[in-house]
Formats: sequence, C-alpha cells, structure tokens
Amino acid sequence: MSDLTIAQSVEIALDLLGANGGVVVSESNFSANLRWANSSLTTNGSTQDNTLSIAAFVPVDDGIGCGIASGQVRSVADIEMLVSTSTASAIAGGASEDASDLVAGPVHANFSEAPQAADFSGIEHIAKSLGVVMQDTSAQYFGYAEHSVDTMYVGTSSGTRMRFAQATSRFELCAKSPERDRSAWSGQGGTSLNDVDVLAHAKNVSQGLAHQLTKIELEPGHHKVTLSSSAVADLMIYLMWTASAREAAQGRSVFSASNGATRIGEKLSDRLISISSDPAMSGLETIDHVVNLGSSSMSSTFDTGLPIGRTSILDKGVLKALASSRFSAGEAKLPFTPLADNIEVIDQDGHGSLEELAARMIDGLLITCLWYIREVDPQSLLLTGLTRDGVYVVREGKIIGAASNFRFNDSPVGLLNRIVDAGEAIDCLPREWADWFTRSRVAPLTIEDFNLSTKSEAI
Amino acid sequence: MTDLVNNPDLPTGLSDAALAIARQAGAEVAHFRIARHDSRGVSLRDGNVENVASDSTCALSVRVVLNGAWGFAGSADLTPQAALDATNRALAMARLSAQVSSDRVELVDEPSHGEVSWQMPVEVDAMAIPDSQVIELLTDWNARIAGAEVVSHIDAHAAMGRDSTYFADLNGNQITQSRDRISAQLNAIHVGESGFDDIRTCAPPAGRGWEYLTGTGWDWETELNELPELLAEKSKAPSVEPGQWDLVIDPTNLWLTIHESIGHATELDRALGYEANYAGTSFATIDKLGNFKYGSELMNVVGDRTAEHGLSTVGYDDEGVAAQEWDLVTNGILTGYQVDRSTASRIGLSRSNGCAFADSALHTPIQRMPNVSLRANSANVTTQDLIADVEKGIYIVGDKSWSIDMQRYNFQFTGQKFFEIREGKIVGQLRDVVYQSKTPDFWGSLAGLGGASTYLLGGALNCGKGQPGQVAPVSHGCPSALFRNINILNGRMEANA
Repeated sequence: MSDLTIAQSVEIALDLLGANGGVVVSESNFSANLRWANSSLTTNGSTQDNTLSIAAFVPVDDGIGCGIASGQVRSVADIEMLVSTSTASAIAGGASEDASDLVAGPVHANFSEAPQAADFSGIEHIAKSLGVVMQDTSAQYFGYAEHSVDTMYVGTSSGTRMRFAQATSRFELCAKSPERDRSAWSGQGGTSLNDVDVLAHAKNVSQGLAHQLTKIELEPGHHKVTLSSSAVADLMIYLMWTASAREAAQGRSVFSASNGATRIGEKLSDRLISISSDPAMSGLETIDHVVNLGSSSMSSTFDTGLPIGRTSILDKGVLKALASSRFSAGEAKLPFTPLADNIEVIDQDGHGSLEELAARMIDGLLITCLWYIREVDPQSLLLTGLTRDGVYVVREGKIIGAASNFRFNDSPVGLLNRIVDAGEAIDCLPREWADWFTRSRVAPLTIEDFNLSTKSEAI
Repeated sequence: MTDLVNNPDLPTGLSDAALAIARQAGAEVAHFRIARHDSRGVSLRDGNVENVASDSTCALSVRVVLNGAWGFAGSADLTPQAALDATNRALAMARLSAQVSSDRVELVDEPSHGEVSWQMPVEVDAMAIPDSQVIELLTDWNARIAGAEVVSHIDAHAAMGRDSTYFADLNGNQITQSRDRISAQLNAIHVGESGFDDIRTCAPPAGRGWEYLTGTGWDWETELNELPELLAEKSKAPSVEPGQWDLVIDPTNLWLTIHESIGHATELDRALGYEANYAGTSFATIDKLGNFKYGSELMNVVGDRTAEHGLSTVGYDDEGVAAQEWDLVTNGILTGYQVDRSTASRIGLSRSNGCAFADSALHTPIQRMPNVSLRANSANVTTQDLIADVEKGIYIVGDKSWSIDMQRYNFQFTGQKFFEIREGKIVGQLRDVVYQSKTPDFWGSLAGLGGASTYLLGGALNCGKGQPGQVAPVSHGCPSALFRNINILNGRMEANA
C-alpha cells in the first residue's frame, strides 16, 4: 500500500473536496477463513483489503448533487481520481432530493490510529479441533469458519472524524450420515473463533443425526412448529429490511395502510413480542452513528454522522416505528429512524431453551433452519423457502423422529399473530442471511398453522 | 489504478517473483492472479436521481497446492513485497490445511496457452459513457410512462461492469482478459385502493456494450410503451385458481428455472458435497451420469463459456483452461457436469471444461456456472404455435420470485406477466400465479419447444455460491417451451391460508 496512513487519505480527500464538502469513508479489512467438506479441509484463504469511498456534494442549479466513487488508494493520484469521478457524478446527477446539511458528528481521539490488528489464532484453534472431530467416521463433516476485522474511518466536511473497529467471526458445522440420508447443522456468530467450542457443536449435530434415525412420514399442510432462534432470525431480519417508512407511506409495503398512512400503531401480535435494533446491545455492539454511502428509501448519505439509538420496530406486539432517513421521515411525516446493524427479537413472556420450548409445544415440529428465503408477495410479505438440516417430530413433548424437509409459504408479519409460545432470546447465527447479517439475539418461537405448503425430498 | 491492459509489465513483474517463491517451496501448483473490477450504476426513483456511483477495485492473489492441499492468500496491495507476502501466506495456509486434509488435491492437465489475451467484443464502450448520458436515457424511459394514470411510482436503474484479469502459473501461462456486462430495468408500480401491483421490463443483463441500451439486442421502445397498459390490465386481472395448469413459459422466465434446476444441479462440486454446508448438494449424483432421465426427450442442454454476449463467456477460466462447449443433458438424459481442474480429477475426466471462477482476486476460484442453455427446436415452432396447443393454461413472461431446495428438487417461481390461455388463445391476464414443481417431474412434462425464432439469452448478474460468498454473472439461452399439468399456487391465498 502507499505510504499514506488511512487517516491521512481521508483528510486529503476532504481537502480535495474543498468547500463543497462530502463524506469520505475508508475501510480496512483483514480476513481469514477455513472451509471443509467430506471430513477434509478444502479451500481456505487469508486476505487484506482497503477501500476508500467518497461521496462528493456539489452545488447544482436547484440544490446539492451527490456522486459516489470508491476504490483502492495506492497514491495521492488515486485519491484525486476518486474525488474527480465522484464530483463529476454529483454534477451529472443534479439535485438530490434527500440533500440536507451534514451534522457535526463525533471526533474520535483514535481517528489517526492504524487499523485494528487481526488475531487469527482462532483459525488454528478451529483447524486443530476439526482434526479431532473428523476422526469420527460415523458421519461426514462439512462447514466453514471465518474471522474478519474491519476498521472503518469516517470523515465529513462538517468535522466528523469517526473510527470504528469491529471483529466478526462465524462458525458453521454440518454433519451428514455416510448414506447422505440424514443431515444436521449447528452454527455460531461472535467476535472470536477462540470462543467456539467445536466439540460442543459436533455433539449438537451428532444428536440431530441420532434423532433422524427414525423417519416419520408427514404430509404438507398447516402445522404447529417451533422455530429455532436461527430460523426466527432469518424471518425477522427480512421483516426489518422491508420496514421502510417511505415504502409504507407510498402504499408499496406490507406496512402500508390506506390513503398514504402507515400501519404504525397497529397491533400485529397478541404476544408481548418486540423486534429491535440497538448499537449498544451488550455483546453485539455495532456502529452507533449513521454511515451511508448511497441513498435508499431507508437511508441517506447526508445523514452520515447522526447518532443511532435503540429502535423497536415492533414493541410488545404493536408496530411502533419504520426505518427512515431524515428526508424519507419528513416525507412520511414520521420520526427519523436509523437502524443499527443488529437485531433483537424478545417475547416478554418467553422463557426456557429451544428444547424446553419444543417440549412445551407437546405435539408439532421442531425446525432447525430455514433456507433459500425469497419474497413471493410484497403486499402480505409472503415469503417462501425451505426447512433444512433437521425437522424433528415432537409428540407428547418428546422428539420421536424426523420428518422430511418442506417448502414453506408464510409471512413474518402474518405469523406474528399466530405465536403461541416463546423461549428465551439467545445469540444465534442466521443460516440464510449470515453473509450479510450476523449480530442476532433472538427468541425461538412456537407458531400455530405455519404453512408448510409442499414436501421436499432434499436432505 | 493499475491498468492491466495498458501496463502489462506490472503483473509480469509481480507474478515472476511470486511463482519463483512458490516453486522454490515445492508447490505442485501455483496460480498468480490480478483482477481489476470496474462497475458503475445509476438509479432513479420517480424520476429523481437516487444514486450515481462507481467502484474500481484491484488486487492480487496467489493460490498453491502444497503437500496435496490448497493454500490461498490475497492482497489489495500491488507491490512486489505484497506478492511475496501473499505467496508465503498461501504456502502457510496450505501447510495448515494439509494437516487436516484427507483428500489430496490433484489437477487434471491443461495445455499451456503461453502469453495470450482475450477481450469480449462490444460495439460501444459502456464504461466510457458519461453519467449524464446514462441519466438522460433513464430519465427518458421514466418520462415515457410517468404520465400514465395507472403508474403511481417508477424505479429505474442501469449498471455496467468490466472485469480485467491477469493469470500466470508454473506452466508458462500469462493470460490477460477483459469482459463487459450491462443491464437496465424499469419497474412501474400501481397503488390502488385494494393494494399495489408492479410490472417491470424483462430485458436480461448481457455481455454487451452501451449499444444494448439503445436498441441493439433488445426492443426497449416497444417494451416501455406497452408497460402502462399491461400494468393497468394486471391490476384488474382475476386471481388465479390453484390447481393443475399447462404452462407456456417465455424465455424471459424459463432462463431462471434452467439456472436453478439444471445449472446448479449439474455442478460437480455440489454433487461431490463441497457446497453441502452452504449452497447445497445435488440430486444429480455421479452414479446417475449417463443413465438418469432428467426430463423429456425434447430436452438438450449444453454448458459453454463461448456463447456470443454470454455473461459467463471468457477466453480462459481462472485456472488457465480454454473456453469450451459441452453436453449436460442429451435427449433428456444426464450426460455431463460443470467442472474445474480439481473436481475433474475426482471423476476421472482427463480435462476440465473450464468452470473455475473467482469474483475477485481476494477470493479463491471455485467451480462456477458457465452459460447453461436449452437448445431450441430445429423446426420453426413459434410461441403462438405452443399456445395454440393448450386448452387451459398460462403463458408466463418475465422472472420475479424464485426458490429451490438444497438438492435442487422442489422449486417455486413466479413471474412478471401471466396470460390466461383458453382453447389455444390468450384471453387476458391473471395475477398471483406461483408455479411449483420437482425438477425431474417438471422437465419430464416438457411437451413442446419453440424454434430458433423464440430463442433468447437470459441471465443474472448475481448468482451466489461459496464461502466466503461470491457472485457470478451467468447467461442461459432457451426457447419458449410448453409444460403439461404443472402445480399452480395462488400467492395471495398462500399468505392468507
């Protein structure tokens, strides 16, 4: 890389932007990963990356234009090129409808410090533990472990100088029977792979495979199910991603009411269930100020530097808030509501573990994971997808075997009113969305009449 | 930024040093890559520019096989020291991996191609078109339909990209390549008293230049002009009755069904279990090669990295294998897989068909999908001919929602437009149509194929696979096709059931 420090690159970019101003974000990433299949390590990698992104604000005929350019910086000439490109884009784009004054955000004392060093000792810990697990020939093991450290530097022409460092780890273990007729999964998010007890995950998947020795034929239809925290997270993350104030106010969302109103204030569940994001969530902390490069119905570059607080989209069963930028909040006549990069789903009456919740269900299905989740109907937020790696049949409070996988067609909004029991929220890894979203503290839920529409032969 | 095309000395200097270190360390295989990715995009919401953005990244990586195990490392730093560091880290990863790897990595042979270059042909360089011209085009599209009473909102966007890559190995290859892609969509939304509907353009992304957005290869004019009327009709259309229907599926929809139910199912790495924790496996296991009845005898599917304007088209893959075309399904029987050099060796193939790809130099190449296409009928059968052969059916145009299970059996798709067919004629639109089937059943119900005049190369820019996740662009050609007795669900009823 160049001799420039990252902080210097940010300052040079801001100087080049001049009086017109803008937002400059530099991201440094160190990452290492291991992947294994058929009880043998396959691909792996260790990478280093560094990107500078510039949002240039330029006065145009009827307002302020915004253009964005990003790339890697190896010299001052590279920074000049990015400023020039983003400025040209801003002029071409014309006035941004979400243009607003940048706030003077925080100035972090450690802004000039080097990126946080990465500790990859966890990769070796995982490799050694896998060596033990893979001795077991009664199953074949598949999975993935990744540890990354991101350090983000944010500078704005309004004086904001923020530095955020964040470590993220992820571990997944899948076990299959040698005949490939049974499959189980266990996963964990976090900040260090050294926290991962690989042998405990191996015990989980072995137990899953043992339960699956008894196959039980079950027809598709509406079933009472207990969804694991991972499965609930995947559904509620999608709900959160679609909870846009602007889309709702424009009549384009499941959260739209008639005549340009939204459903805020409407009771969506009889349960005291809440869906929140909070940058200060203990153990799942994340960036506590807005950093946006680009605008959408929920975000605006011009909001960079504003504080993010705790937001409950759903508060004790009532739709309380929808995500917005300052601009879209004003348009929808709702409070400005930025969301943090984490999710918490808590039922006030929830208690006990997943296993205890499944036992309380008495009769029904315990679903480990959901997969390939896609939107079918945005008006009802009907989602489809598959169950994966363990659908366990519970009778009289005990797991008596496993059913096939199923395709589901159901809505995370619609099912809120069919929750009949909940467990204690735990930190979990969303199986479907873990590439984009890992920080999740979510309760397992028991739901009546979950629509398992067709059977899947997939293992 | 490093210009791979105009500054060839830089990659050669870096690769020589990296490969020498790898050879000295005893690596059986060493691949050095530099990849630069340029992309830009413009989006409009209700005629207002929402984003104008561009991105350019460039990085190097080294991949080795040492002691029978892979090792990979990459860096965004393009200095000789970074190349050496990456080589040493890749060697270290291979040593670590070798301790826990029971399967030795073997690569099938590929002749050395020496110092070669390949460039995707385009008429007009889209990356050189100013932002203002892209915005002007989208603004014009927006204005054409904004006045229609039925249109409440409009989203429009255009995106362009270029991959410039350099590959060198211990076999003397020095391969420089460049390929382009372009896409645009406009979505029109109607908000009414009973809810909202939308309909969007069906033009697929393509391996073309700016000429694609101005009329070469797609009739934007006609499609944009028809959108408001189609949206108005769709918003008032009756909801579909669930049950068994014959389907005539337009290539603008069928490409995605091919992608999910054939493209991913015939990836050898999935069949071997390498994706079992993530993307999944495949029902099309090795024992089925040459004998499994995938579908009706009308079904002939080929894989290629050579199709004109194909999104997966290259000169050479990311392991230095020259682009080819091969059979995947022949007269309804599974006859081939997509492979890279290491998976080819697992099933005794003597040569890879060139499906190694990484979406960045910072990602390790894995087996990725080539263009996978269904051959057209040799007879001149039109879409109208297929519709005329249907008593009670639906003609489905354009893709929308998609989902398929981990072994590529159970799938469910929707679309943009659903035209009801009664006694061989289209009688109007339907809404809320969802089609669901099992892959061999669906392809077994294939009862008619359109001819070459109905053939279209569809595709996607965002096919996901691998951990860490990678995205790949890929094309799928197909004609219109007729399927008998497919299970139709009603999306609204599924939500309210």
